[in-house]
Amino acid sequence: MVDATMPLRRRRFRVRNLRFWIPLTWIMMLVLAALCAPLIAPHDPLAQDLFLERLPPFFMDGAEPGYWLGTDSLGRDVLSRMIYGARIALFVSVIAAVSTGIFGSTLGLLAGYYGGWWDRVISRLVDIWMAFPPVLFAVLLVAVMGTGLTSVIAAIALIDWTRFARVIRAETMVQAHMDYVDSARIGGARRFTTLVSEILPNVMPSIIALLMLEMGIAVIVEAILSFVNLSISSDDPTWGSMIAEGRGAIHFAWWVLLFPLITLFLTVLSFSTLGEGIKKKFDPVLSS
Amino acid sequence: MTTQPHENTLEIRQLNATLPNGMRLLRDVSLTLEPGEVRALVGESGAGKSMIGRAVLGILPSAVVHSSGDILLEGQSLNAMRPKTRRSIVAKMSALIPQDPLTALNPVRKIGPQITDPLVRIHRWSRDRALKRALELLERVHIRNPERVMNSYPHELSGGMRQRILIAAAFAPSPRLIVADEPTTALDVTVQKQILKLIRELQRETGTAVLFVTHDMGVVAKISQKVTVLFAGRVLEDAPTEAIFNDAAHLYTRGLIAATPTPNATAEPFRPVPQDLIAQLQRDTQAEDVRFYQGGRK
Ligand SMILES: Nc1ncnc2c1ncn2[C@@H]1O[C@H](COP(=O)(O)OP(=O)(O)OP(=O)(O)O)[C@@H](O)[C@H]1O
Ligand SMILES: [Mg+2]
Repeated sequence: MVDATMPLRRRRFRVRNLRFWIPLTWIMMLVLAALCAPLIAPHDPLAQDLFLERLPPFFMDGAEPGYWLGTDSLGRDVLSRMIYGARIALFVSVIAAVSTGIFGSTLGLLAGYYGGWWDRVISRLVDIWMAFPPVLFAVLLVAVMGTGLTSVIAAIALIDWTRFARVIRAETMVQAHMDYVDSARIGGARRFTTLVSEILPNVMPSIIALLMLEMGIAVIVEAILSFVNLSISSDDPTWGSMIAEGRGAIHFAWWVLLFPLITLFLTVLSFSTLGEGIKKKFDPVLSS
Repeated sequence: MTTQPHENTLEIRQLNATLPNGMRLLRDVSLTLEPGEVRALVGESGAGKSMIGRAVLGILPSAVVHSSGDILLEGQSLNAMRPKTRRSIVAKMSALIPQDPLTALNPVRKIGPQITDPLVRIHRWSRDRALKRALELLERVHIRNPERVMNSYPHELSGGMRQRILIAAAFAPSPRLIVADEPTTALDVTVQKQILKLIRELQRETGTAVLFVTHDMGVVAKISQKVTVLFAGRVLEDAPTEAIFNDAAHLYTRGLIAATPTPNATAEPFRPVPQDLIAQLQRDTQAEDVRFYQGGRK
C-alpha cells in the first residue's frame, strides 16, 4: 500500500502511525472484550464438561462448533477463559500502573525540582529499594499479605515505583534548568506552581510512556504470580493460570498454552509500543 | 508609602557572589539606575553580566552559595524582605527580556497564558483585562495576527517572533525595571536591528529603566545613557556613555571600543583588546590587587 514514489517524509509518517494504531487497536479490542465479557464469551469460563475435554481449535480435525479455540483438560472453553482473563489482566494493569505512576512520579518531581534534602532522602530510598531482588520481593510480599488481586497490585506498586521516581527525577532536573522556569519565577510563580504548571506538562509524555510500559509489566507480573499460584484462586480464569495449566498438557493440548501466551505477548508489546507512540503524539515539537 | 521623585529605580550596593569552591563571581559590584534610564552592562564573556541581572531578579543559580551586599528597588531593600515578599515585589516591579527566545518560552504551553499568567497572578488583573493588554502589546510589537499567535505553541513561531513576544510580555505589566540580557545575540543580523529598535521605542514610550547587557559597543552607543564595564566580576568603570566613547578612563574600556568594528572600519585593521592588558588584569584580579584600578588607567 505504501507507494514507493511517495516522499520519504510522508512514508515515515505512515509507518509511525501504524506503530501507533496497531497496538491501540489491539488494546481497544481487549478493553472491549473485558467490558463485554458476559456478552461476548460463548461459554461460561468456569463450566467444566468432561465429555468435551481437550477439544482442538476450529481449524483442526475433531473440533466442536462453538469452541473456537478448543477446551482445556477439564473441558472449559479456552476462548471464554481468555476473554474473562482480559478482565483481570486489564483491571490489575490499570490500577497497578496508575498507583505506581502517581506515587513514583510525585517523588521524582519533588526530588528533581526541590533538590537538597528532598533529593537526598528520596534518592537514597530508591537506591536501598533497588537493592532487593524484585521477584523475590514480590513473592515475599504476597506471601505476607496473602494471595489475591489487592496483594498483586500492592506488590507491583511497591516494587516498581522506583522506575518512575528515577526517570522522572532525571527529566525534572533537566527541565528545572530551562529558561522558561526562570521566566515563570520572575513572573511571580511560587515553586510549587512552577513545578505543577510549568514542569509537569513537560515531563507528562514520559510519565505516560512509563505508565504504558508499567501496564505491560503489570500484566506479566500478574501472570507470573498466577503461574506460581500466588494471585487469585486457580479456578478463576487468568492468563497466567491458563499458561500454568497449559504447560502440563503441552503434548496433547498445546492450544491451552499457546493462545494465552500469544495474547500475553501481544498485550505487553502493544503497551510498550503505544507508550512510545503516545509520548511522541503528546510532544508538540515532535508531533508537528 | 511615598516615593521621592529622585529615588533610584535600581540600586546595587557592594554585591558579592561566590561559588562553593571559593571562586568569586561578583566582587563588590555597585551601580544605580535612575527612572527611565538605560544602563549598558558590558564586559567579556564570563565577566558576570548575567549574574548581576539574575541577582536582581532573584534567580541566581542554586550553586551560588554566598551572596552579600544589597539590592534596592525604588528604595526598598530586597535583603530585608522575606523570600515571599521579595518574589512578589520583584515580579511586580521588574521583568526580563532573555537572551534565548527559544528556551525562555515553555514549549508545551500556548503563548497566551504565558503572557497573561503574571498579569493575573501578580497584578491581580481579571483574565479579560490581561487578555486585552496582551493583545495590545502584541500589536505594538508588530505581530500581525495576535489572536492566532496567542493560541500557538512557541515552536510554531520564528525566533524573531518569539523575541517580540517576550518583549511584549516584559512590557505588559508596565514594570519599572527591565533586565535585557543580550536580547539580540541569538537572532540573525537583520532581525537584531528590528528588535533593538523595538526595545528602544518601547523604552522611550513607557519610560522604563533598562539594564541592558551586551558585548556590542555599537549597541551601547545607540541605546544607553550610562555604561558599566565589568571584568571578572568587578566594576572597572562606570560613566556616562558619551564620556566612555570620548574619553574612557580605563585602558580596557578603550580596548573594547577599539575592538568594535565600525562602518568605516574597513580602512583600519581589526584590533582586539591587547592580550597583555587582559593578562595584567587577570593577575591583578587573582591577587585582589588594588592596582587593578590604577594599573589599567591611562
Ligand atoms: N550555574 C552556574 N553555576 C556555577 N557557575 C556559574 C553558573 N553560571 C555561570 N557561572 C559562572 O559565573 C561567571 C559569570 O557568568 P555570567 O553568565 O554572569 O557571565 P556573562 O558575563 O553573562 O557572560 P556571557 O557574555 O557569556 O553571557 C562565569 O565564570 C561562569 O562560569
Ligand atoms: Mg550572559
